[in-house]
Amino acid sequence: MSEPLLTIAGLSAGYGAAPVLFDVTLTVNKGEIVALVGSNGAGKTTLLRSISHMITARGSINFAGRELIGLSPEDVFAAGLVQVPEGRQLFPAMSIEENLQMGAFLRRDTAAVARSFEQMYALFPILKDRRRQAAGSLSGGEQQMCAMARALMADPKMLMVDEMSLGLAPVIVDQLLVVLADIRKAGVTVLLVEQDVFAAFSVADRGYVMETGRIVREGPVAELAEDPELRKAYLGVA
Amino acid sequence: MVRAILLILAVVFLAAAPFFGDAVMIQYGIDALLFATLAQAWNILGGFTGYASFGNSAFYGLGTYGTAIAMAQLHLPFWVGLSLGAFLAVLCAVVIGLPILRLRGHYFAIATLGLSATLAAIISNLDISGRNIGLILPLTRNDVGFYEEALALLVASTLTVMWIAKSRFGMGLIAIREDEDAAQVMGINTTFYKVVALMLSAFFTAIAGGIHAYWITFIDPASAFDLSLNVRMVIMAMFGGPGTVLGPVVGSFILSAVYDALARSISTAAALLFGMVIVLAVIFMPRGLWDLGHGLRQVGWRYFLQNIRLHRL
Repeated sequence: MSEPLLTIAGLSAGYGAAPVLFDVTLTVNKGEIVALVGSNGAGKTTLLRSISHMITARGSINFAGRELIGLSPEDVFAAGLVQVPEGRQLFPAMSIEENLQMGAFLRRDTAAVARSFEQMYALFPILKDRRRQAAGSLSGGEQQMCAMARALMADPKMLMVDEMSLGLAPVIVDQLLVVLADIRKAGVTVLLVEQDVFAAFSVADRGYVMETGRIVREGPVAELAEDPELRKAYLGVA
Repeated sequence: MVRAILLILAVVFLAAAPFFGDAVMIQYGIDALLFATLAQAWNILGGFTGYASFGNSAFYGLGTYGTAIAMAQLHLPFWVGLSLGAFLAVLCAVVIGLPILRLRGHYFAIATLGLSATLAAIISNLDISGRNIGLILPLTRNDVGFYEEALALLVASTLTVMWIAKSRFGMGLIAIREDEDAAQVMGINTTFYKVVALMLSAFFTAIAGGIHAYWITFIDPASAFDLSLNVRMVIMAMFGGPGTVLGPVVGSFILSAVYDALARSISTAAALLFGMVIVLAVIFMPRGLWDLGHGLRQVGWRYFLQNIRLHRL
């Protein structure tokens, strides 16, 4: 197996007095797509928020050989660990182009940023057609594409995508899954957090299953998909 | 390019105006220019980041007292007083901004509400600031000079906002207004951006306060830390177009003229009619004059109906 890019060990986090994550351990290797699945309230989003330091956590988060615990969200972002937040969180009154520009906010090399623009428009042609349109006026699928493109504009080492399929038609989700595979081909590692286990497992290499703040299963998706308990709980098949 | 030339002509015209106007006109001009500066300063934080500050009257008061203490108590020149006032206000912006700029939306507005009352209470109990009696500054009869200073300050604050609107810094501020969480996820140090915006806002507000203090020659805590002044800043910036470069300036010029005309013709009922103008403005052009200009060009008079429908009135 290739070298680990993100290694989380003994991570605990919560909101105020309410603990949400208990001793989470998770590894993502360079070039992998890893799916993190689990039902509502399992703690998936909290885990992502802990990794991107939107909330404080205890334990260890090692990214590309660097300990992230104690850094600010900006530092985590600058280290190349970029999140596509749940619910897209675009800048609604800004155009698509301006949204993408915001993704490259910390990048000073304008030539490289221009190349990234080309790549994004190649990856999501619809965004090019509508680049002057306000992001708030896009459809759900287009907004998700815009959010992913904006995150990729930061030239990340690793992309964390939270609930990509939320509120989208299955045909759109299929398109986005193809894009994820393309993103990986371009050298970006992906951590995909999903409720839609089918969708997540169709593109991922390995999977982690979360329940009430703990990792309860892990392994290659082919193995997980065969696990009778998981099939019953998440795939809806006996 | 055409716009830049028109703007320069407007500034030249305003600069030349006091040499042709009478004393009353010049005094009105000083007031209007200072108000426009205050609206523009409020716009830096309130317009671009969407954080509505009611603490700007405190920065105004600090600028006022900084200047007054330096000139009346320490017998220092005017520019030293202005610097002292601006320094106190910017310092206050950092000390206050770091904790309360973590609050969002209404919570931030409420937290800033108490600021000017608190400072007024402190000032009223210090000997150096003349307690609650106030201070008298040395008298200078040079209204044209005050007018030109006020104009220079307005130009400086507007150039600053012009730079903000075009810069990376401004993009960061707008991103904060649009969605602060997303801005943070995009690697923007939102606290730093907000505090810098508040410092700039405090700086221009304090200088305006200092010029006003020297011009009016008498200050006391009640007039220096007047919250209704802050309300006027908000109204003028919102009326003109928050988050735009010239909206707050044009808006405050128009509102100052309306207020002055009303006050002259019907005196006591002026405040009532002024209030009605503002209510109508908020209903028919909630995003300010600047948006009205675009809207009228695009859809004509239906712009007003659209606004009513859009905001469910």
